[in-house]
Amino acid sequence: MDLEFIMNIFPTLLKTLPLTIYIVVVTAILGFLLAVIVTAIRLKKIPVISQLMDLYTSFMRSTPGLIHIFVVYYGLPVLFRAIGIDINFISRVTFSITALVLYNGAFVSEILRPSYLAVPSQQHEAATSVGMTNWQKHIRVIFPQVLPIALPSLGNALIDLLKDTSLLFLIGLVDIMGQADIIIANTLGVYQLEVYVTIALIYWGCSILLEQVIRFLEKKTGKYLR
Amino acid sequence: MINLKGIEKTFDGNKVLKGINLEIKSGEVVALIGPSGTGKTTLLRTINFLEKADKGSITIDELTIDNEQVSEKDMILMRRQTAMVFQNYNLFRNKTILENVMEGLIVVQKKSKEEAEKIARQEIERVGLLDKVEQYPIELSGGQQQRIGIARAMALHPKVMLLDEPTSSLDPERSLEVLKVLQKVAKTGMTMVIATHEMDFAKYVSNHVVFMENGHIVEEGSPEKIFTDPSQERTKQFVQELENPFT
Ligand SMILES: Nc1ncnc2c1ncn2[C@@H]1O[C@H](COP(=O)(O)OP(=O)(O)OP(=O)(O)O)[C@@H](O)[C@H]1O
Ligand SMILES: [Mg+2]
Repeated sequence: MDLEFIMNIFPTLLKTLPLTIYIVVVTAILGFLLAVIVTAIRLKKIPVISQLMDLYTSFMRSTPGLIHIFVVYYGLPVLFRAIGIDINFISRVTFSITALVLYNGAFVSEILRPSYLAVPSQQHEAATSVGMTNWQKHIRVIFPQVLPIALPSLGNALIDLLKDTSLLFLIGLVDIMGQADIIIANTLGVYQLEVYVTIALIYWGCSILLEQVIRFLEKKTGKYLR
Repeated sequence: MINLKGIEKTFDGNKVLKGINLEIKSGEVVALIGPSGTGKTTLLRTINFLEKADKGSITIDELTIDNEQVSEKDMILMRRQTAMVFQNYNLFRNKTILENVMEGLIVVQKKSKEEAEKIARQEIERVGLLDKVEQYPIELSGGQQQRIGIARAMALHPKVMLLDEPTSSLDPERSLEVLKVLQKVAKTGMTMVIATHEMDFAKYVSNHVVFMENGHIVEEGSPEKIFTDPSQERTKQFVQELENPFT
């Protein structure tokens, strides 16, 4: 192991970190919104759409993330060209986020649904009985109780998402992994081990940070469980 | 005044309420008694519209709702005239004691935070738990939680308070502490309907007893009448069994 080499490439790799963080944050937010919509449809058992959503989550959860990235990156342009729209102007980042949102949304929906169902029906009745509307009940009583139940799993999904971004270099995105790939190629593979160890450390550091954020939120939203 | 006319309710082919007619005057404390599975809980829930009756009408003061053509909006309107106290308390787990009592005042009745807190503190004081306002339900004993359940209902100033066996999940000591609170509430003139197996409560706190069996009201009247001189043979049997369970 060449420690000096590691010191040298560290800043170069870190420079790509904002891109990874950007993709993770945007995907996490959009994926969560998608999951909320999918979960609501499935819980309301809206005919046809509900079954379609079951199909969607089942498919996404049972197939490798890499395939979704390829399908979106290579497939969408073909699909759009077929209906006469050119989407070649769309950036790799956008394609990446699209693929990951679809993937992450399915997983998060599978977390939100059981978490929602874990809130006892008596909590619904208590809110209804004081005269709250359906919306008030959910905002004031139910969702605040879903969150602490879901958070530990949401934390895992977030870390999975971070790790999944390392697949994006395969469609040519220069994130941490992409940059690592470039460095390895430029040094003819001599420093392969050093590069991989370095980025592993970077991913690890990011995961620890995310874990801390989730822990903090768990404490904050679950204080009534003490 | 509450008026129920021809209330019917069926759960998957099982007719639980078979045409209930009942008038409750303002300030009355009604004890709803009867064997298990008779439909007492279901009746309370239809008055609160947690359950929608299939047939019949419900009147609370000037507002009459026909169950066969009631909208979601009407149901919310009716719920806001009533308040429910549950067997298992059902406090909002994610809210402190004070927030539990304030919640309906702020969200439903749109009162200011200051006003809501003032009312909430009064009601929590009435049930003797002012020292617990900052705690969460999980930190309170069952009896204390139920007293807060009563305070939450009282704070809403409902036209009628519906209580479903409020003491049946409690040991005798805690049960007594809740019954004492209910006695106090009754003295404020609050109209109450209580499904109960507590005969002492029915005898000494209520001023109207309704004996239900098998989805029907068999007999109703003053506690003296029902407990000492019922006109129906079935009522006599039920009351006797309650007083001497082993004979
Ligand atoms: N949601 C429901 N779905 C199906 N059946 C129900 C439902 N709620 C109540 N029932 C049935 O209705 C009947 C009356 O129940 P209810 O709880 O009203 O009786 P109760 O008089 O309150 O009895 P207890 O004294 O044991 O509390 C029972 O046979 C019960 O199984
Ligand atoms: Mg009952």
